[in-house]
Amino acid sequence: MLRSELRKLTSVRAPWLLLAAGPLIVVAGVTSLVESGGNVRDPSVQTQALAHAGLAAIITLLFGIMAVAGEYRHATITDTYLSYPARGRVIAAKLAVYGAVGAGAGLASSGAALAATAAWWAAKGATLHLSAADLWLTLAGGAAANLAFALIGVGLGALIRNLVAAVAAGLAWIALIEGIAGQLLGSSLARLLPLHASEALDRTSILGAERLLPQWGGAVVLLGYAAAFASAAALTTLRRDVT
Amino acid sequence: MELDVRELTKEFGAVTAVRDVSFTAPAGMVTGLLGPNGSGKTTTLRAALGLVRPTAGTALIGGVPYHGLARPRRSVGALLEATGFHPGRRARDHLRVLAAAAGLPDRRVDEVLAQVGLAEAADRRVRGFSLGMRQRLGLAAALLGEPELLLLDEPANGLDPAGVAWLRGLLRELAGQGRGVVVASHGLAEVAQTADHVVILSGGRLRFAGPLRELGASGGALESAFLKLTTAPA
Repeated sequence: MLRSELRKLTSVRAPWLLLAAGPLIVVAGVTSLVESGGNVRDPSVQTQALAHAGLAAIITLLFGIMAVAGEYRHATITDTYLSYPARGRVIAAKLAVYGAVGAGAGLASSGAALAATAAWWAAKGATLHLSAADLWLTLAGGAAANLAFALIGVGLGALIRNLVAAVAAGLAWIALIEGIAGQLLGSSLARLLPLHASEALDRTSILGAERLLPQWGGAVVLLGYAAAFASAAALTTLRRDVT
Repeated sequence: MELDVRELTKEFGAVTAVRDVSFTAPAGMVTGLLGPNGSGKTTTLRAALGLVRPTAGTALIGGVPYHGLARPRRSVGALLEATGFHPGRRARDHLRVLAAAAGLPDRRVDEVLAQVGLAEAADRRVRGFSLGMRQRLGLAAALLGEPELLLLDEPANGLDPAGVAWLRGLLRELAGQGRGVVVASHGLAEVAQTADHVVILSGGRLRFAGPLRELGASGGALESAFLKLTTAPA
């Protein structure tokens, strides 16, 4: 089952073109941080630069959404359910395969963040504090965020099933809705929202939130979202008639 | 393997697509599933394949529902109109995905590609395929697991006359091997040449199920019986 899911991914080009955008976004992010006057001698700025690895999670979210919603769009979902009438297993297999690829993409983005940061720091005549635990935790967090959002994407695409609607929902949430929800919920509950949780995981604070979860807490919350979406889909939308 | 439909009913909201339909499509025979547009043929097939959940009744394959089959693709091969292809995927890869899913060796892919005449086009992406080629690819997918039962919805769609003749021969050969073959079709003349057994639906209800010869021996017998059975008031 995993083999067929992997073959689905390796036999088309689109998902790989999408994933390739991740490291590019990371490099762009690091570059703009430095160009806008980031102080390369400040260790917290180093962390901020490296945390851009987590920015690529938007890409892995879209990648994850394609897992199920893409199949509905191309009507290949019929073949998938004919091969595997147990639809819950289908989503489990997709979580495994898209999660693994998403994790790989996360490592690539973390690598890009490290490379870009190292290059810029060298260009500005500063050195990276390579031995700092903070550096490795930040990079690991960024890679983990990529993985988590790939998983969330799979569940979201399975729940919404319409590719365009799922993508729109994901982007609207990121661009707008979570910000509003965060204001409404207050800082204590807002920490549990997905972007806030990913900031905790990335060890960054672009949203300017007052309080964030510890890093491991961010990971747990994001995985919780992934599990919730996937389970909800397996119990409801995936069971619907395929016409 | 036979298809056994018992008191199958399927409602989509206010629309009753299939109403209390019962018939058996025996193994070793070609069964033509006939009916006007909207008569419930496709819904019946989808119910048998587990794609659509019946409101009432059952559609069993070898005595079990689709999800109860140990190796579905090796028991049933399906060609449906709405089965899609990823346009960017090569034909060979489309089949390789299905082969991996069914635990079949990759050489089956080359075998069915040759069988349906797509060996040369196998490495092209599906977006460049004509309707007839897509049909052949769908047929290849249905044949991949050497299934005991074939459920085909308008299989001759898009095929040229040589293709139609080839398909007829293939279906008769498969039935001769003891497999069950169900063909849903509008092409009465073609069904008259191919089928042993006929099921006629109209308005979601069963109008006739039995051997083809029961409808009459003459060439136009099927068509006149069909029109009589399906244009009567419900």
